[in-house]
Order: sequence, then structure tokens, then C-alpha cells
Amino acid sequence: MHEYVLKKMMVDFELVTNYIVERLREYLEFSAKKGGVVGVSGGIDSAVTAALLARATNNYFFLIMPSSTTPKKDIDDALGLIKMLGAEDKYAYIDIDEIVNNIASQVKTNDHYVIGNIKARVRMVLLYGYAQKLGYLVIGTGDKSELLLGYFTKYGDGGVDVLPIGDLYKTQVRMLGRYLGLPEDIVTKPSSPALWEGQTAEGEIGVDYDTIDSILYLRFDEMRTPEEVANFLGINIDIVRKIENMVRFSQHKRLAPEIFRLSGRAINSDWRYPRQWG
Amino acid sequence: MGIKVELAQIKPKLGDINYNLEKHIAILSTSSADCVIFPELSLTGYVLRDLAFEVFRESEKAINKIAEVAKCAVFGTVKEVRTGILRNTAVVSINGKVDYVYKFYLPTYGLFEERRYFQPGDPLKDLKVFEINGMRFGVVICEDGWHPEPIEALAMMGADTIFIPAASPLRRLDRRLLIQDNWEALVKAHSLMYGIWTAFTNAVGSQEEEFFWGGSMISNPRGEIVARAKLFEEDRISYYLNEEDIRIARFFSSFRDHNNDFHKILSNI
Repeated sequence: MHEYVLKKMMVDFELVTNYIVERLREYLEFSAKKGGVVGVSGGIDSAVTAALLARATNNYFFLIMPSSTTPKKDIDDALGLIKMLGAEDKYAYIDIDEIVNNIASQVKTNDHYVIGNIKARVRMVLLYGYAQKLGYLVIGTGDKSELLLGYFTKYGDGGVDVLPIGDLYKTQVRMLGRYLGLPEDIVTKPSSPALWEGQTAEGEIGVDYDTIDSILYLRFDEMRTPEEVANFLGINIDIVRKIENMVRFSQHKRLAPEIFRLSGRAINSDWRYPRQWG
Repeated sequence: MGIKVELAQIKPKLGDINYNLEKHIAILSTSSADCVIFPELSLTGYVLRDLAFEVFRESEKAINKIAEVAKCAVFGTVKEVRTGILRNTAVVSINGKVDYVYKFYLPTYGLFEERRYFQPGDPLKDLKVFEINGMRFGVVICEDGWHPEPIEALAMMGADTIFIPAASPLRRLDRRLLIQDNWEALVKAHSLMYGIWTAFTNAVGSQEEEFFWGGSMISNPRGEIVARAKLFEEDRISYYLNEEDIRIARFFSSFRDHNNDFHKILSNI
């Protein structure tokens, strides 16, 4: 990673940890829910989110929801994390293949993109089932890189109540994971939704995360032009444009669905209320 | 001579006037200070969005309840100054008498959207100097502390102490809390330039996406931070603001040389 960007990524992780833990506590308190549920995949984002939630409250519950395309190593790492966090009596292990196959057969598809998204949405349904049963919230695991790229399934892993690490780039989530003392295997593991066999984020996007995060940071946090970003990083401008296009075309995933105005006060347009008030 | 002040760094609940009122009353009734300073919009919460159109009715009643118990209190509310016109307001309640200070600079950039809801104060009418126990003080709200003129004008009008109720959210996290450094620089600079006590009371806790970082602080007239509240949690700090410190700071500063000709230039730009 470019030295300048790397330096910008290195924030005070003790401060960040205290901040997110405190905010999780407050969010649970304000929402009058007892705790939180996290889907633990064996990857860095869910490991960090789970570890932060476990610091915020004792009322947490983790779900491991592998499918036939989940690498065994991910399951082992997820179980290792459960053990490390002392959560042996606070998790469930659910193989989702049967549910996914049922839905896929109803949809009459064997397209691995469609089935991949069904998997993500099945996990969402299970998380909300557990959350409602326990009186908990669904704590999302998306990071800023994925959210900006739109590299998540709408109403799948994107279907959550709150995104505690959503303002940290993938690079920073790895740094935070290391600060939290998570296993190095998880911290350094290549990012993958594992929605189909052999899928990796970098393989699918075609750009490595060091470059992705550098482009996203310089383009959007520092508001540099695509040309400046390409020159600064010494990369082809087509790579910058590719990343920028991913952000642009996924904006619909980050916003609430558009409402066609008719009245004098349309929700989210000129009816803008906070999430909660007295 | 001097006054003991308390900075009440509270976590207001957004739009919950009754909860916030009770919090104000609880602090005022247990404070030994001559004056208690609460954060900006302390009665209503800050990230109100369209709730601003509603909270002013209930908060108007709450003002009177605070005035009944407070010796001296500075707290924040939304005030309807004429039908349909709202202002971001600091209430100054001294011995049951209530007056109002309005925010002049309304941040409307980045995460802020105050101009959508509020009318700015008018410096020609709304600059006010108050007095308690012989100490003359002025109040400016949050963003007004990022500009030289509001505090400069109050200092020239006779204020020897400035209270800054604020709702400053955390942002641009770097190795350090940059916004804390920024505010510390501002608070110190105002003290140094005018030989005044400057007391900054921030809100704390989350409201919507934002998080108010606390860290309330007091600078003496020599530009030293003499009292600090905790970061990220509710806190109450008290400090005695001594007139003698003002006197000595001004003996050794050029505050007395204030040259109004600069303002003539400024008024013609």
C-alpha cells in the first residue's frame, strides 16, 4: 500500500475500539433491545464485529451458517473465534444448503450468482429469526470498502440493523483485528464471501484490496480527481474508473428505496426525522 | 472576586424534553456552582432534523421550570422567535430572570444542516453581556467560537468570561482526536486574545450517526487549560474563575491596544 495512504489508515485503534464498543452499547440501549446477533463466517469483518460486540455486552449470539461452498478452513476459524471469545454456549451452527437448494429449486435456477445471493439472504433470514426470538438486534459486519463498492448482497449481508465497522476500510478492519488480538490466520486471510467455490473478493473485482482502499480513500475521503488518484498511486486510470463505477452503480444498495413523491411531505425528501426520538 | 462555574457535560436524549429537563434539574439541584453551563441544544438534543419543528413548544415550558430552580444556568433550546421562525438558542437564566442568546453562524456544511431549520441571530441586536457576582460574561454557541468576531465583540462590550455551549461531533479521526485539538486551540486563542476565561461545554454520546465527544474544557486568561471533562462519557467539572487572573493576564497582553480601525476596513469589504 502507498505509504501516504497507509499512514492515513493507521488511526488510534484503542480509541476506535472504545468508541465502537460504547456506541454499540448506546445503540442497544436506545433501541431497547437486549443484545446482538452476528453471523460469523471465519473472515475478518465478522470476527472483528463479534469481538467488539462481546466487549459491548454479554448478550450476544453468534451464528455459523456454512454452505457447501464454505471452505473448511473458514468453519474452523469461525469455531476457533467462538472458543477464543468464550462463546461456546452462545452460538448455533446451521448448514444452509437444504434451505438454499429448496429456494433455488423454486426459483428454477442453477446460476451461481443467483444462488450466491440466495445464500446471503437465507443467512439474513436466520439472523433475524434468532434476533427476534432473543430480543436482539442484527449487528452487520460490512466495512467501508465493501459498502462503497456495493460488494454485498442487497437485503442479504446488507440486511442488518446497524453497521458498527462501516466507516472503517478493509485495511483498517485488519489492523483493528490485529489490535484486538484475533488469530493471524483470520487477520491475513484473503477476503471472500464464499458464495461459490473459489470466489475471492480480489479475484472477482480484479483489483487487490490495498489498491481498492487507496483509490476509495483518495477519491472520496480526500476528494481527489480520478487523474490525480491514478498519478498519485502510479496506476492505470482505468483501474480508478473501474472502482469508481462500482461505487456509482451500487448507490441504490446504500440508500433506502426511492419513494415517488405525491404529497407535500414525502418520506426522506422533506420529511426527515431521526431514527428515534423522545 | 470570581465565580465558581460547573460544566455539565450531559448526554441529551434526542427530542425527549422531559428526560432532558429532569437531567438539568437534577444537576442544578446538586451543584454548588454559581453558574452551570450545559451543552448546545441541551434540552432538545442536536441532530433533530424535522423534530426541530416540534420540540420548541414543549421546551418553552421546560425553560420556566429550570428558571425556577437555577441560580444561574446556561442551557440550549430551540426557540420560536416569531411565528414560524426558529433559532438555535442558549437560555441564560439568572435568579429567575430569563434571557436568550442566539447563534450567529449556523453551520450548513458536511454533516450540519442548521440553515434548513434556523434563522441566525442578529449581531446588532443579540450580543449581550450578563453579570453574576460581579463577573461579566457572554455566551456564544458552538460555531460562533470558530469565528473571531462574536467573542471579540462581547469582550469589547465588557465580558470577562465567555461560555461556549457546544454540540461538537467526532469526525476525521486520525492518530489523535483532531476536533479536540481544534477546539483546544480555539478556546486557548480566545482566552489569550482578550484576557478572558473561556469555558467550552460539549455534549456527549451518540445522536443518529453522530457522536459527541465530550472533552469540555476551561482555559484561564493566560491560555492554559485548567480543567477538562472526560472524553466519551457524561461528566461534571467545576472551577473557580478568578478575576485576579484576568487582571494579571491583561497587564501582560496587548488586549488594551485593540484597534477598531481594522473593523472599519472589515465593514467595507
